[in-house]
Amino acid sequence: MTFPCKLFLPPFCFEVTSDIPFVAKNLERIYGNNFSQDPSLVPDYVVKIKQNEGVRRFYKPQARFFSDQQEPFQPLQLQQAYAMLEWGMNWCIASHEMQYVIIHSAVLAKDNKAILFPAPPGSGKSTLTAYLAFNGWRLLSDEMALIIPRTRTVQPFVRPICLKNRSITLAKNWFPDAVFSTVARDTHKGDVIHLSPPAESWLNANTPAEVVAVVFPQYTADVELDIYALNQTQSFMQLAGNAFNYGVIGVEGFETLTALIEQVPGFEILYNDVAQVAAFLEQELL
Amino acid sequence: MSLNQLITQLFITPESALSISLPQWMPIILVLRHQQLLARYSFRFKDAGVFAQLPDYTQRHLRNAEIIAEKQYRQIDSEAKELTQLLSSLQVTPVFLKGAAYVLQSNLKPGLGRTFSDIDILVPKADIVEVEQRLTIFGYLSDAISAYDEHYYRNWTHEIPPIRHHSRGTVLDIHHNLIPPVSGRAPNMSAFAAHIVCTDKGFAVLDLPAMTLHSVIHLFFNEDFKNAFRDLTDLHLLFDDFSEEDWAQIIRLADETGFLFEVMLAARYCHKILHTPIPVWVSQHLEQFQLSPWRMAIVDFMFEYTLLPKHPLTTSFKQKLAVFMAFVRGHWLKMPVFMLIGHLAMKSFFAVRDAIFGKHQFSPKNSANR
Repeated sequence: MTFPCKLFLPPFCFEVTSDIPFVAKNLERIYGNNFSQDPSLVPDYVVKIKQNEGVRRFYKPQARFFSDQQEPFQPLQLQQAYAMLEWGMNWCIASHEMQYVIIHSAVLAKDNKAILFPAPPGSGKSTLTAYLAFNGWRLLSDEMALIIPRTRTVQPFVRPICLKNRSITLAKNWFPDAVFSTVARDTHKGDVIHLSPPAESWLNANTPAEVVAVVFPQYTADVELDIYALNQTQSFMQLAGNAFNYGVIGVEGFETLTALIEQVPGFEILYNDVAQVAAFLEQELL
Repeated sequence: MSLNQLITQLFITPESALSISLPQWMPIILVLRHQQLLARYSFRFKDAGVFAQLPDYTQRHLRNAEIIAEKQYRQIDSEAKELTQLLSSLQVTPVFLKGAAYVLQSNLKPGLGRTFSDIDILVPKADIVEVEQRLTIFGYLSDAISAYDEHYYRNWTHEIPPIRHHSRGTVLDIHHNLIPPVSGRAPNMSAFAAHIVCTDKGFAVLDLPAMTLHSVIHLFFNEDFKNAFRDLTDLHLLFDDFSEEDWAQIIRLADETGFLFEVMLAARYCHKILHTPIPVWVSQHLEQFQLSPWRMAIVDFMFEYTLLPKHPLTTSFKQKLAVFMAFVRGHWLKMPVFMLIGHLAMKSFFAVRDAIFGKHQFSPKNSANR
């Protein structure tokens, strides 16, 4: 692969540059068909992940991420470079795009009926996302729900699923044929791997869906499946707490989230078996 | 036409945006974002009535920046209110400067689309310790900075190290003068005290001529030109609203405080680069402060490049040389020569150290090099 490369990830386009060979390999694996040569496609963000200079090239080598001239993060270990690039791309969107209400949430859909899964790290959200994405659901996003203001419509932003620690082995056993990145060890989230979603998601990467429910998942080892219906206040507070740009966009964000919560049910689900969650979603919410 | 020419032309005649092709917009947007000017340009395109005809791509990026700027307008009012209240028990009235001052005055053109990363306030030097203590109690803490920087701020400059609100992240720069006292040119602040006025919402700011003079000093009596192009557009917008009386006032105040040379530079480069209208009598009056022709030619070279946008896409060798000259000149103005030699030696030591060991290795609070 030759850098800079243009990565079209609807609705955004990134220009990516790197001098780190395994980053190039991972990009090719994860994003296979999303590289574009189309000159009329103009990049929204110009990002770069490069090795740190000086003796840190040789001694405990590091990677640095840049969005144009801005360096939002401290350097990370070189072996974490690919994960850092993924997080950096998320940062670009979360800190600049203000014309969607952006929620830290997974989004999966069936027949263009979408469910939002907003959740903090450690809730098992990504494991559930991976399971659903490979069992008949369409992944719109693992990290951010882009909601068009004053609607229930969510724009996909298809990216790999970020799996952590024990979920890595689990996912590799569940989906032996799936496409995984290399592992980034000992990050602030532990060991992480990126998993490319199935073709169905990539093919429909620009097909919006309508939100029909909001589900707050919480993996709980000793609970098979407990489902609590949330009232509107509870749902709203949880949703707002997971919104990236809610504080910036002001009234429009507030009105979008309140309208959404008034129209769709909200649930908190404690579970230790993803298959049972899937069965509940399919039978009760779609 | 070079990218920088294109960007200045877009400022002077926003209508020219209609002739820019989609692929040309990408570098323009990168440079404007880097120079924190996206929102300001967005409003200029709207004023000229061309915004709606721009490509979707351009509109989206401009609008994003506008929304971020709008958030700052909402926030600055409550921040200013809190600061004014917190300090009122010390009988101190903070005077808001630069970006915050522009945005706090709704009738002021440079407030529109102006973003800033910190709030600058001016307080009397005698009160600075009490002010810092009081703000610390209410959640403003200083960031980790190196011992050298701490020493630099406390002993040599006109401000204390920036403090940051622990939860909102608001950064405050507390000044007791407009320029470093070690420069030997720090004005007697009582000359400015007569120009403190109250906005319609009850915040203290400098009146238009004094505020403009501060912005002039900040741009031309300085060594840091990172945001120089934005600051030049600020000056253009401020001068744009000047009455004859305002011109007379800024000249009087600059005369009193010894900054007429800087006012001459500001009028000269605003006019040369952004075509700012300057009354004939003002230009004629300021001419006497020009240097000899060959020295003026060097100053022109230095500022005509340094004041333009700076980004790897626009930078030329000439601009790098000009910025370096302006950097040395700024230090020269600010510090006596023996201090300057020491300071530049320390700075080069840090630069060489970072080149060898990698950037961030020695940054305070660094947790990534474990």
